[in-house]
Amino acid sequence: MLYRRRKLDLPRGELDTPVLFPVRNIGKRSSDNTPTYVGTIPEFSAAMINARSIRNRDPMWQRISNGVTLREEMDVPEDTIVFADSGGFDFANEEVDTTPAKTLDTQRQLDADILGTVDIPLSRENRAAENQRRIDQSIEYALKASDHHDGKGLLFASVHGYDPETIRNNIQYLEKNGEFDGFALGSMVPIRTDYKKVTKLILSARNATDKHLHVYGLGGLVYQPLLLYLGVDSFDSSAFIRSAGNRNYLIPGFGGEELRNIEELDRLPCPCPVCGQKELDEIREDRTALTQHNLWALATELRRFRYVAESDRDVEEYLDLRFSGNKVTKRAYETAKQQMRRLT
Amino acid sequence: MSDAFTITDEQQDYSQYDLDANPFPYSPVPTEDPGIYCGQQHVSDKISSTVSSMLSTGKSKHLVVTGKYGNGKSHTLKYTRSLLRDRDDVIVGYVAQPGDGFLDIYHEFVYDLGFNRLQEFAYEFLASVARDVTDTNPIGASGMESLIDEGDVLLSEIVPEAIRRLSDVTKFADFARAIIHMVYEDTNLYAWQWLTAEGIRYEQRKEMEIHSALDDDTMGVRAFTALKNMLLELGYTGIFVFVDEFESIARLSPKDEQATLNSIRHLMDQNSSGLCMLFGCAPEVWQDVMSEYHAFSERIGEEVALKPLTSENLYELVRDYLDQERLSSAENEGIDPFSEEALDLILQTSQGNIRQVLSMCSRILDDAAESQENKITAAWVEDNI
Repeated sequence: MLYRRRKLDLPRGELDTPVLFPVRNIGKRSSDNTPTYVGTIPEFSAAMINARSIRNRDPMWQRISNGVTLREEMDVPEDTIVFADSGGFDFANEEVDTTPAKTLDTQRQLDADILGTVDIPLSRENRAAENQRRIDQSIEYALKASDHHDGKGLLFASVHGYDPETIRNNIQYLEKNGEFDGFALGSMVPIRTDYKKVTKLILSARNATDKHLHVYGLGGLVYQPLLLYLGVDSFDSSAFIRSAGNRNYLIPGFGGEELRNIEELDRLPCPCPVCGQKELDEIREDRTALTQHNLWALATELRRFRYVAESDRDVEEYLDLRFSGNKVTKRAYETAKQQMRRLT
Repeated sequence: MSDAFTITDEQQDYSQYDLDANPFPYSPVPTEDPGIYCGQQHVSDKISSTVSSMLSTGKSKHLVVTGKYGNGKSHTLKYTRSLLRDRDDVIVGYVAQPGDGFLDIYHEFVYDLGFNRLQEFAYEFLASVARDVTDTNPIGASGMESLIDEGDVLLSEIVPEAIRRLSDVTKFADFARAIIHMVYEDTNLYAWQWLTAEGIRYEQRKEMEIHSALDDDTMGVRAFTALKNMLLELGYTGIFVFVDEFESIARLSPKDEQATLNSIRHLMDQNSSGLCMLFGCAPEVWQDVMSEYHAFSERIGEEVALKPLTSENLYELVRDYLDQERLSSAENEGIDPFSEEALDLILQTSQGNIRQVLSMCSRILDDAAESQENKITAAWVEDNI
């Protein structure tokens, strides 16, 4: 097992890893509908934000330029740790409208603790040559960011590739030619159902560097234990918001359950501060409550894994049980286990 | 329990003959890397001339070696192959028999090269591109591989250029992609299967952006030519193809036989340089090919026939085999423990067929050792064969 515990030394203090960065959709057109969680869920004192969205939201950017802090905009304490992604996800289908220097400038103005480099995501639908061009471009952006980075906040190079050689090669190349505090693996979301490929790519990244490894976009209930098992240090997820939007109730150890399938229940199976006090009908009517519960579900999943690992229990035995209920995820875990054993 | 069999791993003692072991094969089939070639000077002269012409001029040249069963066709081809394999400027492949058509010849040839060799070609090609488009100067396949592993070059920078160049060189974009995919652990087995014409599923081809299936003789000729052109581009002098048991094309239907010969003819036509094909064929089948398929046989041009062994050839052959296991380094034992008369009798009995000669020598030496005979005489041979 590659699971590991580290500390990230950040401008706002230390952050224990592995850690989940809940995605804040602040700056997006749908407005910030992320409920308050900092201060209520202890392990979630951090957030992932999209620097480009905020910069492109004129009124908000004006306020920030005039001295309002990002944390004030987010209505969170000033010591909340922020990972500012470049917003490269949007470049999957849009022209790149920023430069590494401009993005760094935005990230600095947001007073981000962790800065992700500009990148262009890949898609399996693209021609190989187009994906190669995007990989090449993302590397160039990362190196330029390294040149411009003033050392305030940690700089994570965004890395893309759909084969282990490319991932390893990119990380080694960036290590040699730039200065990065960690690496963030992208383009995993479009291939997330291909668990075998995803685990292989993550393992290749994990083996290529001992530095901090973040995986963009895969911090949902199912992937979380897999990522921990594969030694990933951090991940982000908006699953708690998206699931709530679909009236999907996340249950640690299981997955998502649509509320319409459990209408007869009075009380939900989770004892979190939301579900422990409210009845199902109340939660169904209150999207914020459902979102908050879903965050608690992610926290619980993380706590369980940590508990098993720290109490010297057999993590693989736990994961055998954890994934036994679903053939697809069970196969994914079995694949990850085999790949891991080939390494050790 | 019956004690009719006595099975033991105890080695027979040949020291009375100044031998460490019986040097003759019990089952006389050519070894993969033969160390001995005796007699047949006219054959070695002709092969040397054919091979040397290709090496010196780069022009393609082909030859048929004919001979009856057991006269050493396979041994001759494999011996020539072992000599050529020592050179690092040529690629040599051995095809045990032509199978059902040209695609089988192509398949066997690529299989004989092997997965690792093909992967090396891919790295060598990437190295040639890296030398041009980066500041690095990778030498050979391993140099390129370590540059990639160490992150000294960026794969995404050189791979698109490598595919473009290789497509230009081979005029076969699918082949170019398959070769480059040999460096990716996720797809190299699919690429290998495609390159060996084993056939892969559409989804597997799609993953490598390979559009065509390599599943008929025409595509086989195209792939073979592409492979040769890539190797010439990499600086190799040429490809040597050894096709053994060529007489087995006679068992094909006339239509398939003609198609196979036509494909080989097309291959030769498309490769006026850098290709040398050596065929091993039974004389009677080669006569038929010569009389019925002029277009094919005319392109080969030359034939050399293996002859039965003479006494002198046999003495030399036996001496060479015995020298391999001599205990003393004096090498003055000659054909001892065989007498010349004994070998003459063996030659007469075997009618000069080398396979039978080796088989008899092996058996007679064992029997003599068991009987504690000091010398193998003609009389003893006569009594024991």
